[in-house]
Amino acid sequence: MKKLFILLTIVFVFLIVGCGFEDESKKSEETDSGSGDKAATITLMEPSEIPTLDSSHAHDFVGFTTLNNINEGLYRGDENHEPQLAVAEKHEISDDETVHTFTLRDSNWSNGEKVTANDFEYAWKRVFEVSGHYSDMFVTADVKNAQAILDEKMDPEELGVKALDENTLEVTLESPNPLFKQLLINPTFFPLYESFVEDAGEQYGTEADKLLFNGAFVLDSWKHDQGWVLKKNEDYWDADSVKLDKINVNVVKESSTAVNLWETGELDRVDLSSSYIDEYENDDNYLTEERPSIVFMRVNHNEEAFQNENIRKALDMAIDKEGLTDTILNDGSKPLYGLVPKDFSFSPNDNKDFRDINGEYNEGTNEDAQALFEEGLSEVNKDSLSFKLTVSDDEAHQKAAEFIKNQLETNLSGMEIEIKKVPFEARLEQEKAVDYDMVISTWGPDYNDPMTFLDMWVTNGSANRMDFSDEEYDALIDEANEESDEAKRYEKLLEAEEKLMSEMHILPLFQDVDAILMHQNIKGMIRHPAGPDYDYKGIEIE
Amino acid sequence: MLRIDEESIPFLYRELIRIKMEMMKRGGSMSKYILQRFLYMMITLFIIVTITFFVMRLLPGTPFSNPEKLSEAQLEIMNVKYGLDKPLAVQYLTYLGNLVQGDLGLSFQSQGRTVINVIANRIGPSALIGGQAMVIGFIIGLILGVISALKHNTIFDYGSVFLAVLGMSVPSFVFAALMQYFIGVKLEWLPVALWEGYSYSIMPSIALSVLVIATVARFIRSEMLEVLGQDYVLTARAKGISEEVVIIRHVLRNALIPVVTVVGPLSVSIMTGTLVIEKIFAVPGLGEQFTLSILVNDYSVIMGITLFFSALFIFVIFVVDVLYVILDPRIKLEREG
Amino acid sequence: MRKHDSEIAEELFVHAPLEERTSEEITQKPTGFWIESFQRLSKNRGAVIGFIIIIIISILAIFGPMFNKYEYNTQDLARSNLPPLVYGLERFGFDGTDSHGTNVYEAKSIANEAAWIGTDEFGRDLWTRVWRGTQISMLIALVAAFLDLLIGVIYGSISAFYGGKIDNFMQRIIEILVGIPNLILIILFILIFEPGIVTIILAMVITGWVNMARIVRGQILQLKGQEFILASRVLGATNRQLIWKHLIPNTMGPIIVTLMFTIPTAIFFEAFLSFIGIGIQPPLASLGTLIEDGYQDMRFFSYKLIFPAVLISAIMISFNVLGDGLRDALDPKMRK
Repeated sequence: MKKLFILLTIVFVFLIVGCGFEDESKKSEETDSGSGDKAATITLMEPSEIPTLDSSHAHDFVGFTTLNNINEGLYRGDENHEPQLAVAEKHEISDDETVHTFTLRDSNWSNGEKVTANDFEYAWKRVFEVSGHYSDMFVTADVKNAQAILDEKMDPEELGVKALDENTLEVTLESPNPLFKQLLINPTFFPLYESFVEDAGEQYGTEADKLLFNGAFVLDSWKHDQGWVLKKNEDYWDADSVKLDKINVNVVKESSTAVNLWETGELDRVDLSSSYIDEYENDDNYLTEERPSIVFMRVNHNEEAFQNENIRKALDMAIDKEGLTDTILNDGSKPLYGLVPKDFSFSPNDNKDFRDINGEYNEGTNEDAQALFEEGLSEVNKDSLSFKLTVSDDEAHQKAAEFIKNQLETNLSGMEIEIKKVPFEARLEQEKAVDYDMVISTWGPDYNDPMTFLDMWVTNGSANRMDFSDEEYDALIDEANEESDEAKRYEKLLEAEEKLMSEMHILPLFQDVDAILMHQNIKGMIRHPAGPDYDYKGIEIE
Repeated sequence: MLRIDEESIPFLYRELIRIKMEMMKRGGSMSKYILQRFLYMMITLFIIVTITFFVMRLLPGTPFSNPEKLSEAQLEIMNVKYGLDKPLAVQYLTYLGNLVQGDLGLSFQSQGRTVINVIANRIGPSALIGGQAMVIGFIIGLILGVISALKHNTIFDYGSVFLAVLGMSVPSFVFAALMQYFIGVKLEWLPVALWEGYSYSIMPSIALSVLVIATVARFIRSEMLEVLGQDYVLTARAKGISEEVVIIRHVLRNALIPVVTVVGPLSVSIMTGTLVIEKIFAVPGLGEQFTLSILVNDYSVIMGITLFFSALFIFVIFVVDVLYVILDPRIKLEREG
Repeated sequence: MRKHDSEIAEELFVHAPLEERTSEEITQKPTGFWIESFQRLSKNRGAVIGFIIIIIISILAIFGPMFNKYEYNTQDLARSNLPPLVYGLERFGFDGTDSHGTNVYEAKSIANEAAWIGTDEFGRDLWTRVWRGTQISMLIALVAAFLDLLIGVIYGSISAFYGGKIDNFMQRIIEILVGIPNLILIILFILIFEPGIVTIILAMVITGWVNMARIVRGQILQLKGQEFILASRVLGATNRQLIWKHLIPNTMGPIIVTLMFTIPTAIFFEAFLSFIGIGIQPPLASLGTLIEDGYQDMRFFSYKLIFPAVLISAIMISFNVLGDGLRDALDPKMRK
C-alpha cells in the first residue's frame, strides 16, 4: 500500500517537475526577448492551427495569411487589393495576351540564395506533382496544359511555365485571362527553393526550421497548436517599408477566451462573437470588417416545387433578412439580396459596386410573398409544402435556421419546415450529393472577381451542388470567360447574376461581417477580400 | 474462506478479488496469469483497431481540410494520391502492415506531420494538467469523503456531498468560463489562458479536478462507511485504541485500497485530455485534438489516438490489477490465517 | 460447581407459564427489506429534500410551460432579449433592466407583458423554454437510464451467472466497446437515423449500458458464491428462479444507486453534445442547449445562463444526494 503511494507520488512529482523545467526555460526565453529590446511587437490570434506551410498544399485562410507574410510571389495585393509587382520587377505581355514574361528583381531566400525564375518553375510544377489542393487554380488562370495535366493526359513537366534564365520567367496561357494577375497573389503561385524542399521531403512546411522565407517576415518559431512567432526579415528586398519587428500569433479557439485575453491585455486584436457586440460596440477599439463571404440557401432543383419560380420567390420574400441580421445574429452581418456581396467588386470603368449596379432582388411584403406562394402552389397542384432544412453545426447558421423556419411557417400558410442539424462534414457530403430539400450554405471568394461566385452555377459545375442547369446561364458565363474587354466582360457578369437572381435560383441570406477589437494605434493591417486574408507588411504602431 | 462484503465496491475491485482468488486456487502462477492477460490485451486492441477503422470510414466527408472548396475532380486526384480510392479492405491491410512496423502514418489535416509527432506534441500539456487535477482532486476528495463518512447523516455529511457535487453540477464549460472570468480577468491572480509557463496550467488543473473531487469523495465516503461497519474496526475500538489511530490505520487504509484501483483508469482518461477545458483555456492538449480529428475525419490521427488511448487504458487496468494482487493486506492475512 | 448448587436451590426456579400463542408472538412487527429501507431513507433529511426537489422540478417541467401564454417556439422580434421581470419581485433583480441598467420594457414600451425570466434573441419566453427543456432533458435522461438498466442488468447477470467462457467473452466485448471512441459511434448514429431525441437516446445507450452491466456482473459474481444461493440450489431452484428471485433483488441497491448517477450524467452528456454541436434539433431545447446558448451570451445576458444552470445544478445535486441516501438505505449492513 505505502509502496504504491510512494510510487504514485514520485510519478506525479516527476511529471510536474519535468514539465516545470520546460516551462522555466520557456519563461526565461520570454523575458529575454521581452526586456531586451523595445521592439515593435503585436500579438494576434487565429482560431486554428496552421495545417501546413507548404505552399503547394496550403489551402486554408490561416496558412494563406501566414504564407503571404513569410513568402512572396510575382505579385502582391496592395491596400486596394490590386495586384502590384513584388518578386517580379517587370511584367511584359505579348500582343495576343497569352505569353507573359516576368523579370525578377534581386531578392534573396533566408538562406542567402537568390530567388530565381527556376524556383517558380519548380514550385508551379510541383503543385501538380504532389496533387496540391489548389491545382485547379492553374486551370482558372488558364495556364497552358493545366487542365490536361489534371486529367492526367499530360505530364506536369509540360505546364506552360519556363525559366528562360535566372531572372526571366515565361508563362504561357491557353487564352487571354483578365484574372491572371489577380490569381498570382495566391500562395499556390509562390516560388520554392528546390534543393531545400527536396531535402525536407514530406516534412517541408511542417516546422519553422523546415521552411525558407523570401517574404517580409520569417517564421521564428512554431509551437504546434499553440502559436507561432513572425520576425522581421532583414534580408527582404523591401525591408525598409516593414515597420514591425515581431508578431506573436496565438491559437485561441473559444471566443470568450479571446475576449478575456483581450481584457487582460494579452491580445492586441480579437474577433468578437455576436454575444460580445452589445458590450463592446461603443468601445474605441471596436471596428467591423466586411467580408465578401456569403451565407445563402441552396434549394434542390430536382424538387418539383423548387422548379417553380413563384415558390422560390415566395420563400425568399417571406424571410425578414434584416430581422435575421440585426436582431437574431446581431454580429454586424448584413442582409443580402443578391449573389455577389457588397464592397467586393467594382466596375472597371466607373468604379461602381457590383451590388449597387444590379440592385436588390425580390423585395416585397409578406402579403406579396403569400400571394406568390399561393400562385406557385396552384401551379404545382399542391395545397401545402413540407421541407427539411439542412444546417450544419455552426452557431450562426443554426440560429438562422430556427428563424427561417419560424418565418416561413408564419408568413406562408401551408408551409412546413423541419430543421435537420448535421455535422459540417455531413452537410457538405449531402450538399455535394444533392441529398437535401433546402440547405444553408456558405461561399467565400477564391479570387477578387464576381466570377468566383458566378461560375458556381454552370451546369454540372463542381460548386453547383443543387442540380441547377440553365443553358442561357452557361452561355453567359462562357461569353464572359472569352471576353477580353474588361467593361464588356463585366456587363456579361452583371447579366449572369440578373438571370440567376431574377428567378431566385438561390435564396441569399446575409453577408458576413467580422466584429473586431483592435488597439487603435495599430495601423496598416490590410485585409484582402480574397486569396490570402491579411497582409502584415505595412503594419505600424503609432 | 475469503469473506469480503462489498455492497458498494465497484466492479474493478470485485473483479480483482475474484482474480486473486482464482490465482490462489491455481497456486498463484503469476507469470501465466500475466501472459494470459497480455494476450487478451493484444486481441482486444486488435479488435478495437479493426472496428474503429471501419466505423470511422462510415462517417461522411473527406479527411482533407477545407472540403467546401474541393471539387469532385480535385478530390478524386487527392484520393488516388493518398490511396483512399482503393477498396477499404486493402486500405485496412496496408494500415495494419504499417502499424506492425510502428508507422502510424501522416496526419491528413496537419499535412506532412506524423501522427506520432501530433500525439507527442499534444500529450504533454494534457498529462500535466491531468496529473495535477488528479493530485488536487484526490486530496480534496479524500478530505471531503472522510468528513462525510465520519459525520454520516449530519449537516457535515450533506455539506461535503454538496461541495463535492457542486463543481460537477454545472457543465464544465460554464464552470471553467466563470473561473476564467473571475480569477483570471477580475482578480488577475492567474493567467487567463494560453500555454506559456507553469502558472498557465494551474487554472485548467483546478477546473479539471472537480470531476476527480466528486468521484474520489463519493468513493471514499462509501468505502469508509463500509469499513466502519466491519468487525475488525469494532475489535480495534474495543481494544481501546484511540479513535484517530483506528480511523487512520484501520479504516482509511482499508478504504483507500479500492479507491486506488479507480484512480488508475480515471487518471488515464483525465490525463489524456478533455475537450472542454483544453478549448476554453487554449491548452494544446490531446482531448481537443481528438474531438477535432473526429469532426474533420483526420483518419490517421483518429486511429492513432484511439490506439494510444485504448492501449494505455487496458495497460493501466492490467498494471493496477497486478499491483493489487501484490498489495492487498487482507488476502495476505487470509493466507496466513 | 456443587457449592453453587447449594446456594441456588432448585425451588427457586419457577416454570414460565406455557402459553402456545404468546410464545410464538413476535413483539415487534417484522419489517421487510423494502419497508425498512424506505424508513431509513425517510430519516435521511438530505435524501428527502433531494427527492422533494426532484418532484417539484418534475411537476414544474410538466406544468410550467402552461403558466403563461407563450409557446416554447413562438418567436417575436419585438420581444427579443428582454431581461427578467416579475412584478413584486423587482427588488430581487427581476426588474427588467439590462446590464447597462436601462429598463428594456420601458424602452420598448411593452411594460405589461413581463417575461418572468426573460426572453432569448428570438423573443421566445425563457420560462416556457426552460421548463420545456427540463422536460426534454429529463425525458432523455430517464429513458436512457432505463435502457441502460435493462440492457446492463440482463447482460451483466447473464455474464456473471454463467461465468467461465461466456463471461470472459462478454467481458472482452465490453472492453472493446469502451475502447472504440464513442463520439464516432454517436455521430454515426445521428447520421444514420434521423437526428432527434430518439437518436440521441440510442446513441447514449449504445455505450452507456456498459457501466451498469459491470456493476451488476460484479455484484452477482460475488453473491453467486454465498451460502443462501447454494442453499437455494440444493433445494432445487432453477436458474431462472435463482436469477430473478435471489440474485437480482439482492443487487437492487447498487443498481438503484448507479441509476441515480446515470440520470444526471445523461443530462450532462446531452449538454456536451450540444457543446460540440450535435445535440437536439432546434427549435426544441434541452437544458444542455439552453446552457450552451446562455454560455455564449453570459457576459451581457447573464440571465440566459443563470436560470438553466441553477436548474441543472439543482437536479444534479438532488439526484446525487438522493442516490447517496438510497445507497445508505439499501445497504443491509446499515440495518440497526
